[in-house]
Amino acid sequence: MKHTLRQVFGSPRFVVGFVIFAFIVLLVIIYPIFVRSEPLGIIGQGTFFPPGIYVNAYDTVGSEPYTLKLDNAAAKRLASRLSDQQRLDKKDWLVAAGIPENEIDPANTEKLLEQWESNYDPAVIVPGMINARRNYFVRLNASLGGILATEAAIIAEMNAETNTLEETGSVDQTDYVNINDVPNKRLLPLGTDNFGRDVLTELVSAIGTSLLIGIVAGLIATTIGLTLGLIAGYIGGFADDIVMFFTNMFTVIPTFVLLILISYSIGQEQRGAVTIAVVIGFTSWVWTTRAVRAQVISLRNRDHVNLSKLSGHSTGRIILLSILPYIASYVVMALILQISSAILAEAGLSILGLGPKTTDVPTLGLMMNWAMIYQAQVLGYWWAYLPVIITIALVSFSLNLMNTGLDQVFNPALRE
Amino acid sequence: MSEEAILEVRELTTKYITRYDEDIYAVDHVSLKLESGKSLGIAGESGCGKSTLALSLMGYYFPPLHYTGGEIIIDGRNITGIKPDEVRKKILGNEIAYIPQSAMNALNPTRKIINFIEDVYRAHDPSKSKKEVYELAAGCCNVLGLPPEVLQKYPVELSGGMKQRTVIAVSVMLFPQVLIADEPSSALDVTSQKMVIKMLKNMMDNGFIKSMIFITHELPLLYNVTDDIMVMYAGQIVEKASAKEAVFDPLHAYSRGLMGSIIVPERGARDVELAAIPGVPPNLKNPPSGCRFAERCKYAHPLCRATTVELNDIGGGRAYRCILSESELRDIYQKEADRNAR
Amino acid sequence: MKGYFRYFGGKVVWIIITFIFAFLLNFMLPRLMPGDPVAVITQRVTTGMQSQSGIQAVYEEYQELFGTNKPMLTQFFLYVKNLLHGDFGTSFSQYPRPVSDILRSSIWWTVMLQLPAIIVGWVIGNVLGVLAAYLRGGYDKVAMPVSIFASSLPAFGMAIILLVIFAVGLDWFPTSGGYDVAMIPSLSWAFIWSVFIHYQLPFWSIVLIIIGGQAIGMRSMAIYELNSDYVKYSRFMGIRDRRIILYVFRNAMLPQITGLALAIGTIVGGALVAEIIFSYPGLGTTILSAIRSQDYPLISATTLIITLMVLITTFTIEVLYGFIDPRIKAAQSD
Repeated sequence: MKHTLRQVFGSPRFVVGFVIFAFIVLLVIIYPIFVRSEPLGIIGQGTFFPPGIYVNAYDTVGSEPYTLKLDNAAAKRLASRLSDQQRLDKKDWLVAAGIPENEIDPANTEKLLEQWESNYDPAVIVPGMINARRNYFVRLNASLGGILATEAAIIAEMNAETNTLEETGSVDQTDYVNINDVPNKRLLPLGTDNFGRDVLTELVSAIGTSLLIGIVAGLIATTIGLTLGLIAGYIGGFADDIVMFFTNMFTVIPTFVLLILISYSIGQEQRGAVTIAVVIGFTSWVWTTRAVRAQVISLRNRDHVNLSKLSGHSTGRIILLSILPYIASYVVMALILQISSAILAEAGLSILGLGPKTTDVPTLGLMMNWAMIYQAQVLGYWWAYLPVIITIALVSFSLNLMNTGLDQVFNPALRE
Repeated sequence: MSEEAILEVRELTTKYITRYDEDIYAVDHVSLKLESGKSLGIAGESGCGKSTLALSLMGYYFPPLHYTGGEIIIDGRNITGIKPDEVRKKILGNEIAYIPQSAMNALNPTRKIINFIEDVYRAHDPSKSKKEVYELAAGCCNVLGLPPEVLQKYPVELSGGMKQRTVIAVSVMLFPQVLIADEPSSALDVTSQKMVIKMLKNMMDNGFIKSMIFITHELPLLYNVTDDIMVMYAGQIVEKASAKEAVFDPLHAYSRGLMGSIIVPERGARDVELAAIPGVPPNLKNPPSGCRFAERCKYAHPLCRATTVELNDIGGGRAYRCILSESELRDIYQKEADRNAR
Repeated sequence: MKGYFRYFGGKVVWIIITFIFAFLLNFMLPRLMPGDPVAVITQRVTTGMQSQSGIQAVYEEYQELFGTNKPMLTQFFLYVKNLLHGDFGTSFSQYPRPVSDILRSSIWWTVMLQLPAIIVGWVIGNVLGVLAAYLRGGYDKVAMPVSIFASSLPAFGMAIILLVIFAVGLDWFPTSGGYDVAMIPSLSWAFIWSVFIHYQLPFWSIVLIIIGGQAIGMRSMAIYELNSDYVKYSRFMGIRDRRIILYVFRNAMLPQITGLALAIGTIVGGALVAEIIFSYPGLGTTILSAIRSQDYPLISATTLIITLMVLITTFTIEVLYGFIDPRIKAAQSD
């Protein structure tokens, strides 16, 4: 046993897979300790907030200001306010006014503004330009003026008695606030989803649920597969025929279809995470049964088994002591495979809307489902689906790697 | 019978490189001479290197087997330096042919025999048409006692013995100079064994092959099949002699042990005690410096383990590897026989 | 030839039994679902109606129409009878469109997409697998992990990645649909081109996933074959590597074909989800909308059709296998 463990951990593929998987599991366990928020708690009023650090604007006004003089503060401010469209419009005007096109670079804010400053004249009549557009440029120029102003922003409060605005403070353009002073801030590394939930927290919880479903389903499927395989392989005869009959049937009827039908019939209300796991487990034992049966058949005519039979050992004992140990490695690999495919099956079901109840717990598949319904992939809200896909792939990949590594250890012909 | 050697091997050494980068010299400075028209038997227990020797003689090495030194000369041509591609094209199959152990599995299960033969020809002599190939093949079968229907069958349709003989027939279809048969009869029942050996002898008599090397662990088999016998132990040749001499008058202690451990079904056989050779062959990872058989030799001196023992050539094609002289050995054996007689 | 009949006859019988079983499951499971779809339809149709008795009358009429007021057994026989006439019932969600009509349009899209995709993916995957086994070395060290990764990706994962990179990001391909929404199906070049463009992404997502899975399996098989006795012997007889690769490919392919037959169910399932991602007008999207609108005649019929397709495919593959493997041929000819 020790020797086997040493070999297993000596296989590079297994180790890599194991490390990735362990990392994910640890993440699931440790993260909630540090971040106590509800995975399904809706914090964003609105859909798909992009990732970033969200600082409470109200608090920043009231916090202690520090004066910093940084280069290009004004230019940066302008650059973020000037939309791409506006830049292109400016360029259009400048070109129409006679500036050669290759001297204008809409991306270079400072230069563009300089050119605009020195050349713009509302009085100039550009041939071919309709009145409405001329007015547009006038407004554009005026709004710019506002941005370029160097005065402070005024904070005023409504005086309840006199019903007028009274100035209570001001914010200078050179005022900076230390983020540590701001009491209300929230880091959203992965933004929010369509409901306004913190994607990262939801993701971690979802991984946990999906893993749970995977493990439960995997265990169920492997247990069924192992039992049926042993019965069919060892006892043979009529029992074998029956088992193989059902196995063949379930092979050909697409598991996917079965899952859909069963999930659908159970109905939305009954579908908890564990229920789904059980359903998946009960429909995916086919491959394991077949594999175990094949192994058992090749084992049952070996000398040590025949010796046991001759010694009068009971069938149960023979199976337990003479056959199980030899297929143990196989069963472990099958288990890993079942877990991996169960996680994927759940994801597939959830995408169809047949997964666990959506109000209970998040799962990886459910997150994908919501992202798709709200068209996240088309609208470019990558944080709503990309991390989910990568996670699914990583979980699946790490499990597969572990499996390949184990395969190499137990099957010397595949070693490099 | 020409005196000219059709196969001459000088100090051939090949090694296996294990996964842990260790060198195992399975064939250690082996030299032999095979004359045209003659057959040589190589005997020894499992793991002595005889199969490796057979593979090494072909001139084509599959990892983890590697060539380290020595020369192989076929019909006057030194093939040692030749590039592997050339070896495959010119030598494998038509100069030297190899029949593997348990040849039952040597045939591609999804290819008809005749198609396989066509492939062999295509690799060596693409000019022959399918018809010509078929005629050649059928002719071979007739001469060698194989029913020509075999050609149209798939390997799965033939019995074990039939498959073995088919493989042998295919191996000689290009009329190689030397045929190396690696335990051709070990996996068969006695009747099939007899047919295989008859076939091999037939081939030599008919000129299909010029010479043959027959490898086996069954020493007495060689007496009926080959002209000369070589005994191998732990990668080295320990005795060379004619068949008769090797079986009835072995000089090396190991050869004697081999002969002594054979049951002869005759009267009084039950009363004869089988003498097994105690011990196991040495690990070739670190071969002992002295005589490799010293550990198990009845007649060993302390000197045996200390000195490197070379092959002792006593003329007439006989040689043996021992520090004792021929007369000393015969003395010992005589005394032993006298003791047993009492 | 008699042997052949025995071989295939057995398989046909078994396929029929399996189909009957699947058929029963198909019928029963959706109908076990709690909730009353007729009530849902009634509600939809009678919004605004005030009269209670009126609503009740509508409800009863629909019940009669859909047969939900009869015992299960009667419903079953009705179902079978209708089926034999090609009548799959009427869709709840797209009422009054008959289910067979909906299916007729979806089936072709699915078959045209998946069949070539599976074949192409299988062939390319296996060729790559053999190459990896033969070349080993650097190619193997790169190709293997990539293949493992590609096969760990669920089918919809690959679909989404391709969608995001090529459709949204690079804008080379459209993001959904079988053809441009503005177009009316016709035999014009413009339409055919539109179909072709819309075909690419779904097609390649399925192909890539299959390649990943096949390559790994084939590689293991090929390695196993390359170490076998007959390869060694063929080499010793001087046969060239090119021919030996052909041998290995032919022999390793046989278990791969069997494997394909066993895995077809899963592959089709994954491909259906890929279809959904692209809103491709095939059976995948059909089943999705059927589930969302609780349209159980449609669900029932779609799953039945999918099962039937998979059964037929499996059977075809097994038949083909019987012709390709000479061992079976040989065993039958005496």
